[in-house]
Amino acid sequence: MVSNISSLVIDDLCDRPCEEDTAIAMFYCDFRDQQEQTTINIVGAILRQLVVRGEVLEHVRKAFRGAKMQVGGRGLRLPDMIQMLKQVVAILPQVYICIDALDECLSEHLLELLVSLQDILRESQRMRIFLTGRPQVKGEITRHFTSCLAVPISPKMHDIKRYLERKLEMDTERGAMSDGLREDILRIIPEQISEMFVGASIAPLHA
Amino acid sequence: MGRIFRGVAVPAFLQPRWREFCKTSHTASMAIVEACLYSINDLDTMNYTSYRNSVGNGNVNCNNVTNSHNSLTVNNVIADENREIMQWLSQIDPRGRHQDVRTDRVDGVGSWLLETEEFREWKRNEGGEDRGILFCYGNPGVGKTYLT
Repeated sequence: MVSNISSLVIDDLCDRPCEEDTAIAMFYCDFRDQQEQTTINIVGAILRQLVVRGEVLEHVRKAFRGAKMQVGGRGLRLPDMIQMLKQVVAILPQVYICIDALDECLSEHLLELLVSLQDILRESQRMRIFLTGRPQVKGEITRHFTSCLAVPISPKMHDIKRYLERKLEMDTERGAMSDGLREDILRIIPEQISEMFVGASIAPLHA
Repeated sequence: MGRIFRGVAVPAFLQPRWREFCKTSHTASMAIVEACLYSINDLDTMNYTSYRNSVGNGNVNCNNVTNSHNSLTVNNVIADENREIMQWLSQIDPRGRHQDVRTDRVDGVGSWLLETEEFREWKRNEGGEDRGILFCYGNPGVGKTYLT
């Protein structure tokens, strides 16, 4: 659900007019890749997507050639990476960053990532960051960004109906379906899902 | 992303030139151009002008390619370096995952978010430092997994 929302937001940003001035970078966290999802890898993947203009490429190229000259390897460290991201964001007129499913990061990585984002945002106020995650990471996020905009995502009746309609349209066994059954499906399932969701979101409060 | 054309993903801004080139060129130089184009896939969001600037002499024009192997070699070296730079920044490219998610998405689901005041305020880029963050939280699976 939240990943769908992220992809929707990314597409909406991509569709906006004057897109030449807008750079968009994204990252989808996944618990299966937890070991890989270190802050440095996330920031690096974001930075890589922001190389959308000649000026940015040249800026990064300079750093790359500089690093290549150094003795003992040329791997980037997190502070270098953050510094470079700040510089790149300063070159671009408008930058949007979307990071999906923060709860799928290991907690130590999440903490480091939030501190890094805070640091970047402090210097790059024009940058916009879109984050998603389960309700349990909300506390951590609002602790770092005290007045951030937070919107709860729950399946709206309209969403569930739309999803069911689509599934029914795609149903290969048409013979088994009648108008009455279709109507019942579209009425009963959304009601039950809504109840289930309310149950699921209230449950942790009583735990 | 560039459209797949004759086995190579060609950035959108190069497609007309690529088609023109395919009509007129022979196999050997085609292989070189393929290698060249393949390595700039990461940069396919760039427009043609900035790409020309970024490669310096700008000899990507396919008419020049067949006559000028030297400049192609220069471009090839730059293209190799570009690929190396991208790898240096990160080995991960999340755009593939984005494609998967958006392919599975049912149109219209979740679009209410785009109409909320919070989203609009965030997108319009108003407010200070902290308003730069929009956080959407919810339990995954409630919308989809329960239904399937």
